[in-house]
Amino acid sequence: MFIFALRRLFAAIPVFLVATFATFWGTSEVVDPTDNLATCQNCSQAAYDRIIELYELDKPVPARYASWLGDFATGDMGSATSQGERPVSEIFWERGRNTLLLALPAFGLLMILGTATGIYSALRQYSKGDYAITSISYLGLAMPTFFFGLLLQVVFAIWVPKYLGIKPFWSSGMHLESPLQFVRSVTLPVMTLMFVLLAGDSRFIRAAVLDIKSADYIRTARAKGVSERKVISKHLFRNAMIPAVTVWSLNASALLGGSIITETIFSWPGFGRLVIDALFAGDLDLTMAIVFAIIFLVIMFNLLADLLYGVLDPRIRYD
Amino acid sequence: MTDLIARPEANDDAVDAGDALGLSEKPESLGRQAWDRFRRHRLAIVGSVLLVLLAISFWVGPYFAQDFDEIDVLQRSQGPSRAHLFGTDDLGRDLLARTLRGGQYSLRIAILTAVIATSIGTLFGAIAGYFGGVVDSLVNFLVNVLLTIPLLMVLVIFGRQFGSRPNTVAILIAMLAWLRAARLVRAQVLQLKEMEFVQAARAAGAKSGRIIMRHLIPNLVGILLVEITLLAGTAIILESTLSFLSLGVQPPDTTLGTLIAEAKGSIDTRPSRVLIPGAIVTIIILSINFIGDALRDAVDPKSGIE
Repeated sequence: MFIFALRRLFAAIPVFLVATFATFWGTSEVVDPTDNLATCQNCSQAAYDRIIELYELDKPVPARYASWLGDFATGDMGSATSQGERPVSEIFWERGRNTLLLALPAFGLLMILGTATGIYSALRQYSKGDYAITSISYLGLAMPTFFFGLLLQVVFAIWVPKYLGIKPFWSSGMHLESPLQFVRSVTLPVMTLMFVLLAGDSRFIRAAVLDIKSADYIRTARAKGVSERKVISKHLFRNAMIPAVTVWSLNASALLGGSIITETIFSWPGFGRLVIDALFAGDLDLTMAIVFAIIFLVIMFNLLADLLYGVLDPRIRYD
Repeated sequence: MTDLIARPEANDDAVDAGDALGLSEKPESLGRQAWDRFRRHRLAIVGSVLLVLLAISFWVGPYFAQDFDEIDVLQRSQGPSRAHLFGTDDLGRDLLARTLRGGQYSLRIAILTAVIATSIGTLFGAIAGYFGGVVDSLVNFLVNVLLTIPLLMVLVIFGRQFGSRPNTVAILIAMLAWLRAARLVRAQVLQLKEMEFVQAARAAGAKSGRIIMRHLIPNLVGILLVEITLLAGTAIILESTLSFLSLGVQPPDTTLGTLIAEAKGSIDTRPSRVLIPGAIVTIIILSINFIGDALRDAVDPKSGIE
């Protein structure tokens, strides 16, 4: 298994390098750090030269990528020109923590709710509960994240205060003063992050469990006289974990990388918001640091999922 | 709730009756069988009707509505009235006309994206599956690379540069959305190429290009139709998301996502400006997904045997 992990890791390296180089190249083509200086009246030629030198804009892209990667590997993420030349690493960890504050609760809830609704729906196929879950899932799959977020704002920040006179949740900004404030500010963004993913997870796990339900080994277990509770908890649940791991690894990547919309709507100072701001400000180092981190995490989660398959399904052998 | 969701088992009586009559009955054509299976999904029928109605209003409506780009400063930020059914925006433009125009553009981009992305995916998938070996590995590598790059971020990075016109938005999204189609087609081609009719064609001296275009791809029409449909739904989500970040189609033109982005600022005072285009987007995608699911069932020959 260790050998397998190592081999997968080596296979991931070219994917990682090509993916980061492609984004680096694309970003360099699109983002021009000297843009801001063109409209600046007081900026001198010296400032212009400094930007050229800082990002090595006089060198070809592959050379720039190599030197950037070298710096990155030694822990130097560069400095963020859009934030008063603060070191990127400092901003990176601060914003990364904020994104995790949303992503972790969302991920935990997704694991529980996605599996629970998926399995329930499959075991009680065509029951009222299944219809309700299916209908909500279809709605979730059809609603763009930004619209669902705005809908939550309309309901909880406009209609509820107007008609009920209370404002249960913060509809914008991060509030960490007390645990209560944290929960109040995190609720709506977490719901927004979760909703679309939950719909997909629930459908996927439902389909997987429907397959498992009619599998031979379940019938065998029943025929042996295994109690219904044990059939579900030992035989069905364990096998349903395999497709669940697949969606979880996709969820984890999506939560970390796809929070752009949610963070924009709820003014949450995390990664997603940062990458857009950095991009518009022509801040190459900051943009690339985040994109780089996300590509890295996506690859790691895929690898983790591959390893977990082996733990869950003894038939999968790594040799 | 119960009758909202189609039950695949709820078999059409007509089909059973045909079977009961046995051999005397004229065999049903594949298209006819597919239509019978499609028809079972009541929601897909509702979705089709809704989509056609929306499309008609998006394309015909503007001839009867006001000019979507006519600025009337005296009528700024008005609520709904007889003259402006949906009210006006911050510049005094008629929101009904803008919604129709936006819907038209959103649908246009979605269809274009779906067709381009499916074509790219089919091409790559068919080539990878048919030739195998190094070509397959190369395509696989490309797919793996693109899968690790966060889609939305790439859209944001390039949307700034290329996202200004409807056709470029469609091409941009399609460049990133073809992966699923490629995988699907590759898997199908791997199976198909071992079948007798392909072997026969090869034995008769047909070249690879001819086999792919004349023998393999026609056999994929069913799943490609499904893929185009479902991709159109994805494309609308991506396009409206891009527009929401004001990186999509640029003013004065508009899409449903742009309308929502513009209305975001006045969400406190006039939530309806967000809710109407949002609801339209949701209805479009919901309809598309229902149609796609029903189509998948319809083109799958196995789903008829129950």
